Formats: sequence, C-alpha cells, structure tokens
Amino acid sequence: MSKIRDLTERAPGSRLVTHALIALVIFGILTWFNQVVDPLMSYYLATAAMYATAMFGMTILVGLSGQVSLGNGALMAVGGYVFALTSLNWQTVPILGLPWNALWSMAFAGIGGVVFGLLIGGVAARLRGPYLAGLTLGIAVGVPAIANRFPELLGGENGLMLQVPYPAGGYASVDDGFDEEFIDDGSGEGFTEDEPIYEELPDEFFEDAPIDEPLGEEDMLSEDDFLTEDDFLSEDDFVSDDDMLTEDDFLSEDDFLTEEDFSTDEGFDAGVDAGGDDAVAEDEFIDDPGVGSELDLAGVDSGFIIEQWQASVAVSVACIVGFIALNLVRGRQGRVWQAVRDDPVAAAVSGISPSGSKISAFVVSSLFAALAGAVFAQILSYVGPGAFALGLSLSLLVGIVLGGRNSLIGAMIGAVILVWLPEFVLSLASDRGWEDQVTNNAPNFVYGLAVVLVVLAAPGGLVGGVQEVVKRVARR
Amino acid sequence: MTNFIDYFLGGVSTGAIIALMALALVLVWRSTRVVNFAQLGQAMITTFIALTVRDATGSWLLALVAAMASGLIVGVIVYFLVIRPVKRLDTSGAIIATFGVLIALQALAGMIWGGDQKAFPPPISNSGYEVFGRTWPFSPYDLLVVVLLLVLVLTMTVVFTRTSVGLAMRASAFNPEVARLSGVRVNRMLILGWAIAGLVGAIAGVLVAPLSTLSPTSFDIFLVFAFTAAVIGGLDSLVGAVAFGIGTGLVISLVSGYTDSGNAPVVALVLLVLNLLFKPEGVFSHHKARAV
Repeated sequence: MSKIRDLTERAPGSRLVTHALIALVIFGILTWFNQVVDPLMSYYLATAAMYATAMFGMTILVGLSGQVSLGNGALMAVGGYVFALTSLNWQTVPILGLPWNALWSMAFAGIGGVVFGLLIGGVAARLRGPYLAGLTLGIAVGVPAIANRFPELLGGENGLMLQVPYPAGGYASVDDGFDEEFIDDGSGEGFTEDEPIYEELPDEFFEDAPIDEPLGEEDMLSEDDFLTEDDFLSEDDFVSDDDMLTEDDFLSEDDFLTEEDFSTDEGFDAGVDAGGDDAVAEDEFIDDPGVGSELDLAGVDSGFIIEQWQASVAVSVACIVGFIALNLVRGRQGRVWQAVRDDPVAAAVSGISPSGSKISAFVVSSLFAALAGAVFAQILSYVGPGAFALGLSLSLLVGIVLGGRNSLIGAMIGAVILVWLPEFVLSLASDRGWEDQVTNNAPNFVYGLAVVLVVLAAPGGLVGGVQEVVKRVARR
Repeated sequence: MTNFIDYFLGGVSTGAIIALMALALVLVWRSTRVVNFAQLGQAMITTFIALTVRDATGSWLLALVAAMASGLIVGVIVYFLVIRPVKRLDTSGAIIATFGVLIALQALAGMIWGGDQKAFPPPISNSGYEVFGRTWPFSPYDLLVVVLLLVLVLTMTVVFTRTSVGLAMRASAFNPEVARLSGVRVNRMLILGWAIAGLVGAIAGVLVAPLSTLSPTSFDIFLVFAFTAAVIGGLDSLVGAVAFGIGTGLVISLVSGYTDSGNAPVVALVLLVLNLLFKPEGVFSHHKARAV
C-alpha cells in the first residue's frame, strides 16, 4: 500500500515548486515577448491571455467536471462590472481605510465571481446535460441585460468607461494600432453584429464626453463622423510606427535579454523562498510594483506603452490563475472532478459528494472568469452589455472545444486560436478581396464548422488529437 | 385594469410563437433526446430564405411555403450530418455540436444577408382592432398567428393520436427498443421528428419576424424563451410546450408592460430557475421521476 502511494503521489511540496516553475517560466517568456514586439502584438497578447484566464476555468468546468456551461461570459461581466464600479467609485478600501488601487478592484472582482459561482453552482449542481446548458444560456443572455435595469449605477446600454490603471511612472501615450484594434474588437468578441459601435472607438474620444450625460446612440454616431478618417489615423501613423518600433528593437537585443534572465532568476528564488503558500507569494511577487521595476530594469525608460501595460497585467493574471489551475487539475481535486463526471454513483460510493464537486468546479471557473472579466475591462477601458454578450460565452466554448477541453494546454491553444483566426481570415480576405460581410462572418463560420468537426472526429480537441496521433505512432 | 388587458392581449401572439418554437424543441427531444440549441438558428436561416422569396415574388404565402420546405430540409440535413454521428458518443458532445451548428448558421446568414436588422412586412394589418371606440393591442396579424398555431396543434394532435405514423413516432419516443422489436422503423421516425421540428420552427420564424426584426442574432432571445417554456412544460410534452409557451409569452408581456422590456430575459431566467428547483420533472412530463 505504502509502495503504491510512493509511486503515485510525490511530496506535495515538490509538485508546487514544479508548477510554480512552469508558471514563472511561461511568465518570463511572455514578459520578454511583450517587450520586444510592437504594440499591436502586445494587444493580441493581452487578449489571448485574457481568454486563457477565462478558459482555464472552462477546462475545469466543461472538461474535467463535464458541465457544459455558456454562462462564463456572464461571469466575466460580473468581474468586469465589479472592477469598473469599485475603481470608479471607491477612493479607499471600505472598513480597512487603505488607499485604493487596481489590485483591490481585482480582488473584489474575484470575490464577486466566487459569490456568483456559488449562486449558479448551487442551482446547476442539480442539473445535467441540456438543462444545465439551457440554464446557463439563459444566464448568458439575462445577466448582461441586468445592466439595462440599473442605468444610473451600471450605465445601461452605454456601459461604463474607465481609466486604465497604470503604473506610477505613467505610460507613454502612444496610440498606434488603434485602427487594427478597431477591426479586431468586433471580430474578436465574436458573434454579435448589433454591438454598439462606440465601444470600438479609441478611449480618448470618450474622455471628452461627460459620462453622466445620457448620450443617444445616434449622437455617438454623428460625432463619430466628425472625428474620423484622415486626421486621426494619419496623426497616429506619424507618432507611432517609426520611432517606437525602432526603440523597441534596440531594447530587445542581446544585453537586455541577459539582464531579464537575471531578474527572472531572482524571481524564481523569491517565489520559492516564500515557501508554503505559493499562490499568495507569487501574487505579491508579480503584482506588486515588481512588474514595473522589473521592466524598468529591462530598459524601458519612457514608461509603458498602454498596450504593453495591459498585456503585462493580463499575462500576470493568466500566469497566477494558470498556476492555481495547474495545482487543482493535477491534484486530488482534479481527480475528484473527473470521477464525478465519469460516474457520479461510483464517486458517491467512494465518499465524494457529487454536488459538492460540481459546485466547486463552478466556483473555481467563475472566479477565473471574473478575473478575466476584470482584465477585459482594462483592455477595453470599458464595460457594457455589448462587450459581454452571448457571443463572448460562445467564444469561450468554441475556444475550449477546439483547443481541447480536457487540458490546460488546450485552453491556451484555444485562446491563441480565438485571437489568431479572425486576423488570419482578415488577411486572407484582403488578399482575395472579399466583401465586408463575408469577411466579418467568416471566422465564426469556421468556428462553427470546426466545433462540429472536432466533436465528431476528435472530441479531445487539438491537444487530444495530437496525443492520439502520438499514441498511435508509439504503439507501432 | 385596461393596462392589464392591453399587456395580456399583447402577449398572446408572442406566446403563440414561443409555443411553436417550444414545440419544435420538444419534437426533437422526443425523437432523439437532444435539445437542439440550433433550432432557432435553423429557423433564422429559413426566415431569411422566406424574406428573399417574398422580396422576389411579393407573395407572403409563397414565402411561408418556402420557409416550411427549407425548414424541413435543413432539419433533416442537421440530423444526418451532426446529430446521428454524434448522438451515441456523449451528451456534452451533442450539446456542443448543436451550438457549433448555431454559430455556423448565424455566420452563414451574416455572410449571405449581412448583419443588419431587416424588416419583414406582415401579410395583413398589424395595427390593433378598434372596438368600443379604442384601439386594442390585438391586430388581424395576431389573430392569424393564433389561428395558425391552433391549426398546427390540432393537425399534430390528430396525426399523433389517430394515425399509424403518429403511433409509431410516439412508440419510438417512448421506448425505442420495444418499438424496434415491434417492427417500427425507429430511424425513420427520428428523421421525421427532426423534419417536423424544422418545419414548425420555420413557421415560427416567419411568424415572429414581422413582430420584431430579422437579423442573424435576433432569434437568440427567443431560444431562451422557448427553452424555458419547453422545460417547464416537461420537455417531452406537446401540450406542455404549447401551454407554457403561451404562458411565457403572457408573463413576458406583462412584465415588459409594467416595468421594462429589458427585464424579459431576466424574467425567463427566474421562471426557469424556479421550475428547475421546485418541479424539475416539468409540469406535463410523462415520466414521473426525472433526473435533471
């Protein structure tokens, strides 16, 4: 008996260290990547990291726990709105009286996610299959509609604009890549054609407008006409491309690489030395001014470009969440979830509570979704019902199914697919000269067909398919 | 009180349409034990086809026939290409596959007809009757919707209870194995179930389009309503689907009237949660005990 235990279970401490190392190495690579690429790529990185954060939760909920949920977009809305409301309205932390900063908002977004996860999970644990999918579909449609119910507090259909929290040094106000963002925003969020247009406009446009004054959609559109086309775009071009890009190039060269390596090494030490409570330790390590100072070390004297800052926030959150997810999935809890998924009766006989397991999967995934929503709010500088529409929930499902719903790597691959495919189709379309309406819908068409094909041919998604192939080759 | 009557009357035709949509979901569930989340995606496509036919010929009736025919075909295609291969594998797979179909169909409609909201003019007046010197929110078109629902429900009741095909369909829904042993061609009954569901959904789509607008995503919300009605009705009960479809329409109309139309999805959600918590087997279900 003891021998079996020795074989199957390593000391818990060593596994924590291994997982922390994995998370930190990925964090280091992505942070370096964020430094050397141009702002547009940083924006893609931020979006992919945000998707990955939410989809780690989908791996646990849909994959391991076997509950098909469409509600995670709505749970992202919870996180996004909590983040926006707390950072807009609170100057100090209630009761504690400490000065407010974005980390507090992130924490409250997470708490909001846990509360909602408990509420929904309590109901959902009693449901199976189509009932659960239908209920969560209702949540995906119904919860964003709540924003319309409280227009004063939640901003109604127009949503809430928020300032992106930035490091003490400030960030360089370079806004190139906005026209690409403009296109990508629409396609990246997927499936709603009737999204409000203003959500896709640059932030600066909105900061001039008093938020409390109710603006009709028509007003927005006409103002849009005034702003647009030639002037702004060309100005952007002047400011951005040449100078910043070349600077970036200089930074990325050899010297700085080694320096970065040193700093991440220190990071490893700090993370490991902090000992037992790795999640918290890593939390502090990454989210403290640590990020800022570390990046300054790497030579960014001019402060952050906003896209790079957003990407570093998104990557930090994704790595912390990924670390937690890794521990859960590869630990006892992961086996409990799979046991209940595969045979609830056998699991119950073995002393596992099936409903408890289902609820815990919901709570964990909604915590992750809420954190992703808070990051999403920072990427968009906006929260609104249009941003968290049914299309977002469907995107998450598509991503996790295509990547592979049973593994965290599948979630990461799915996140990359969600960001990459629309861009790929866009470039294809510009080569072939497709019409706009074909171009805009082509990614979703591919998603839909791909989801059906994956379910029919490779239920494990891309990761599962590759594993299958490897297994067959190895057998020969 | 007049307010109440107004909201009530205004909800009747919406309720009738939700009933049709719920009916389509129930027909599919009875035949293959799958909730077809793509049902209203299919209906959206056939409604676009109907709109194209209507614009080309000017005839609403031709448009309706085109929608019904294409609904039938699309239903069978989806069954053969997606559901039949996936059905026995796992329930998660079937659910995810129907959502995949929904996404693909919405994108396809967007590629062909664009994402804009399109108007679908009603065949007869959509302005309320004037009786007793005031206009009531019940129009000739609403009457047409209700009459069509009644005709469909009556036809289906007769088919299911008085014909041998109906008996075979009920048998294969109730117990496929025994039905197969008794010489019922169960597979054909499943195809027939999907075909009829596609047809009913297509009618619902053509009927609802004039009351709102038509776009690739404009039926999303009706999917939630129809699912709510079908589940509360028991998911395998045609009577339940019709009764609670109309009921859901009325509740939504009342809530929208007294408060705000933005509350409708929230209300549907609350109804669904209450039902699943307190009467999970549904009100009209044939099976007394149901693990949900």
